[in-house]
This record gives sequence, structure tokens and C-alpha cells, in this order.
Amino acid sequence: MKLDVNALGTFYRMAREGAGLAAGRLTHMTDVETQVGVTKLNFMRGSEICQAFDDSTEKVGIRVDLDGAIEGYSVIVFEREAALRIVDTIVSEPETAAFDEMTRSAVTEVGHIMNSGFVDGWADVLESVIDVSTPELVIDESADQFFNDVDETAGPGQENDLALLFQSRIETVDTEVGFSHYLFPTHRSMSALLDRLRTSDGIAYDKLEGFDRMAERGAKEIATTATTLTGIETSVEIRRLNFVSLEAIPQSVPDEQLVGVAFEFDGVPSGYLVFLFDERSARKIVDAMVPTVADGVDGDPGEFDEMETSAITELGNIMASGFLDGWANVLDTTIDHSTPEFIHDIGAAAVDPVVVQLGSQQEFAFVFDTIITADGRDIDCEVYAIPNEADLERALNDLDVDRVEEEPTTAEFQEVDNA
Amino acid sequence: MKTYGTEPGIPSPARVGISEITVSEGDDTLTSYGLGSCLAIALYDPETEIGGLAHAMLPDGDAAENSDRKPGKYANTAIRALLRRMVENGASYTSVEAKIAGGSDMFEFDSFGDGVGQRNVVAAKDELERLGVPLVAEDVGGETGRTVEFTPGTGALVVRSANESGETRKYD
Repeated sequence: MKLDVNALGTFYRMAREGAGLAAGRLTHMTDVETQVGVTKLNFMRGSEICQAFDDSTEKVGIRVDLDGAIEGYSVIVFEREAALRIVDTIVSEPETAAFDEMTRSAVTEVGHIMNSGFVDGWADVLESVIDVSTPELVIDESADQFFNDVDETAGPGQENDLALLFQSRIETVDTEVGFSHYLFPTHRSMSALLDRLRTSDGIAYDKLEGFDRMAERGAKEIATTATTLTGIETSVEIRRLNFVSLEAIPQSVPDEQLVGVAFEFDGVPSGYLVFLFDERSARKIVDAMVPTVADGVDGDPGEFDEMETSAITELGNIMASGFLDGWANVLDTTIDHSTPEFIHDIGAAAVDPVVVQLGSQQEFAFVFDTIITADGRDIDCEVYAIPNEADLERALNDLDVDRVEEEPTTAEFQEVDNA
Repeated sequence: MKTYGTEPGIPSPARVGISEITVSEGDDTLTSYGLGSCLAIALYDPETEIGGLAHAMLPDGDAAENSDRKPGKYANTAIRALLRRMVENGASYTSVEAKIAGGSDMFEFDSFGDGVGQRNVVAAKDELERLGVPLVAEDVGGETGRTVEFTPGTGALVVRSANESGETRKYD
């Protein structure tokens, strides 16, 4: 299987189109105004998909199997409460609290209409027919019930393969009801589509896998560095390789004050690397790194003085070196990074300059998106590595996949001595 | 973020995401969050109370292939598309006024040259001048992000600095 940016761009447009149709149909059916949130093409491993999905809230899914121009399956996932609220808008029954027969059938109907919306969007763009099976209702907490038992998808059935996954978010305006849509095409079906849509020689899929494994090393390296410098045990919680339109990158950053450290890097590939902490996490890190500053002594927890700023900047700098050294080792090249730029601003504003800069050359970007967390300490760090597209393609083509395996793995974070 | 809802009224406040253009009227509030180097362009006709907000990402769409499909992505094509849609909705070209906000340059990376935010500001001003639309207020440049709220009916543009100061400025 080979892919190129043009083919992935078409996929992305199909996913957006499908999300638009699904949102429109939901509005039509329930009279609830809806908007399409972020749409992403993810490359994720089965185990990571399950981990990202398992947030121990009960979910309701409506799953259909697809055949024809796309084979695989499509799942609409609501949180339980959201499903009940939607049912309330279409069933006259007051205050539905449980999943009785009527609720089940109403929610299945809603989910099915939305699945069909997505699929119709895809079929429109592909100008082909996609057949949809009868819907299956799934109510559970874990990912197993939603995603397993499906043969031959490039999906989470196979734990360690890099799966191509389409994710979209639809939200209702004015209320807190959101849904996610997941589409897992089979490997075979994707391969055929990619061959049809590709306009260049493309990149072999296993190169992308190699690169992703390399990024995994980088992510672990960041966690190790953070653990060493702060003495707080941190680990990689979620890691995915996204293919998104540039506009979607700032949109996926939370609308809140964030503290960040940004770099540009130069080499093959070149690009940008941004670490973002929410204020609370940044504060905890500062407290761990600068023990002389007691809580509350310097007033507003949302303000960072020079010493605190430099502590975070230094942490960012060391994390960046670790991350990029990992890439450079595997690619057998040198990747230099700039001096760090500290930023304390509303989330989107911290990444939009990078997006604006890349936007003059490319429409889409591969984003290596990682969340580092400290168990039980409420510390989150989001890492966005956004390579320049042309360089990334070159770097991928030069990548010797076997070398990824040969390169020594960095120390597991559990082995780091924090004393 | 495109909204799917009951036409013609749009929900209030509507969010205008990157590369999007929204035209509205009266008391509806149009909001763009977390502008860094991007530029918010607000146009309005005080007589008909029709106005619109664009959240542009790049300066010049004339050389870009996709500016027909995404006019809101570029400052110059966004201004033209906004103006056209407003006129289609009944605004009078000659009374339209403009306010802009954003275009910060928070990073001094080598690859950014003379500043990506600054380029957006220059492109918007050039296009407004070319079209003869007076620029009546601007809150641009600097090193901090902004969130803007625009009310077409009054033409009021509220700009909130997203940094520690959290300062709010209102351009009536």
C-alpha cells in the first residue's frame, strides 16, 4: 500500500463532506442545531485507539458494516447521556433515563441516519456506491465491544498494525452534546482507493509505520526527560499520527490559557515542535523544578515570573533535543533546533503562527500529536510536531525501515532513577 | 466550523473558525478565538446593519489554486468574498467600513522572515484600500494572541488580549 498527500487530501475532504451531511441530517431530524468539529485522519495502533477510547464513561455506539467502494465499518459513538438527550428531542416521552426498547430503537435510528450521512458523503466524492448493513447497537465502556470482531480491517483488531482511522466530531450548538464518528476501512479497500487517487509515486505505507515507530521513541524520550528533570513520573498517554488540514490544528487546541515552548527545527525533515501545558500543569512543573518558590508566594498562579519561565523553557529545550535526536538517529541525519520561544497565551494563538507559516506551502500536515501525563499529579503536556511536508516526504523515502528496529531503544521511563 | 441549523438566522454567538467567513446582521455576535498571526477582518454597513467576519490565515489568495474553494483563507480574497456576500444580502458597498484585529508575531523563527502576522495585516490594508473600503479601527501586531467578538448591527468589535493581562478593548 502506498499513499501520497493528494490521496490523503481527498480522503480528508470526503470525511469533511460526510461529517457535514451527517450533521445536516441530525439537525433535520431533531431540530437541534449542529456544527462539525474537528475532522482527523489518524494513523494509530490498535492498542492506542483502545486506550484513547477507554475513558470509563459508558458509551453508546451504532455500528454498520460497509461494502462496495469502501469496505470496513463505520461507528457513531455517543456518550450515554448525550444519546439520551438526543432521544428526548425526538421521542415525546418525557425524561428518558434508561435504555428501554423505545430508546434503543430511537438511538439506533439516529445513529443509522448519521452513519448513512457520512457514508453518502464519501460515496458522493468517490462517485461510487457504498453498501451499508443493518445497524448494530452497542452499549459499553471499553473499546472492545465497539471495534473488535471485525475481520481484516487495518483496524484495532490487529494490535500492532498502524490503522488508518477517520474521526469526526459533531457538536450541537448551545448544548453540550457531542458525537464521534469512526470509520475503519479495511487494508485491502484502502489500498485500492489509494492506488486510484494517488498522483505521485507515493510513500510506502511501511515507511510511515517506521516513522511512526520512530516518533514513538521520541515521545518516550520526552517522558523520560520530563521525569528526570522534574522528579515526577510521567508517561506517554496518547500518541497518534494525524493527517489534518492546517486549519484543524489550532481548532483542536483547547480554548484556554496555555503555557508553551515552541521551536523550529531544520534538517530533513524541517518543521516545528510545540509543547503545550495547561496553566495548572505548568505551575506544578515549576514547583517541582524550582523548589524554592513556595506555592502562593508569588501571587497569581496564572502568572509566571522570569525564573519560572526559564525553568519551563529549559525543560522544553531538553525535551526537544531528546525528541529530535531520536528522529535524527533513525534517519541517520542531523536535525538542529532553534532556541526555545516561551509562550503564555490562549491555546490556538500558540500554534496558529506555525500553521500560518506552513500554509503558504501546504494545505495539509502530518502532525505527531502526543499527550504526556503524570500519574495522579494532573500534569498534561501536549506535544505537536509538525514537519514541513516536502521534507517529510523526502525523509520518509530515505528511511530505512529496518534501521528503526536496529537503533537502540532509549531507556524506558520506568527504569529511570529519580533519586 | 460550519453550522448546520435553521436558516436564515444563525445561532448567537456564532464561531468563525480559521479560513471561514460568516455574514450576519443585527445583534448576532460573531466570534473568533485565539487569533495569533491570523487576522480577523470585520466589515459592516452601518445603515443596513449587515456585516461579516472573516478569519484569514494567509495574505494573498490570488496566486493560490484553492482560493475559489476557500476564499476565507486569504486576507485579500476573504475581503472580496465578505463584501460580495454582504452586498448580496442587501448591504450598500459604498457605506461599508472595516475593522481588523490580529496579525501578531509571537515567534522570532528564522523561517518566519519579517513576520507572518505582519504580512497578513499589510495584505488586508492593501486590499481594503484598493476596494475603497475605509479602515476605521485596527488592533494588530504585537506578540500576544487575541479573541474577537463582532456585532454587525452596531459594528462594535471587542478585542480581548489572550495573554496574562487579559485586557479588553472595544472599538465602537
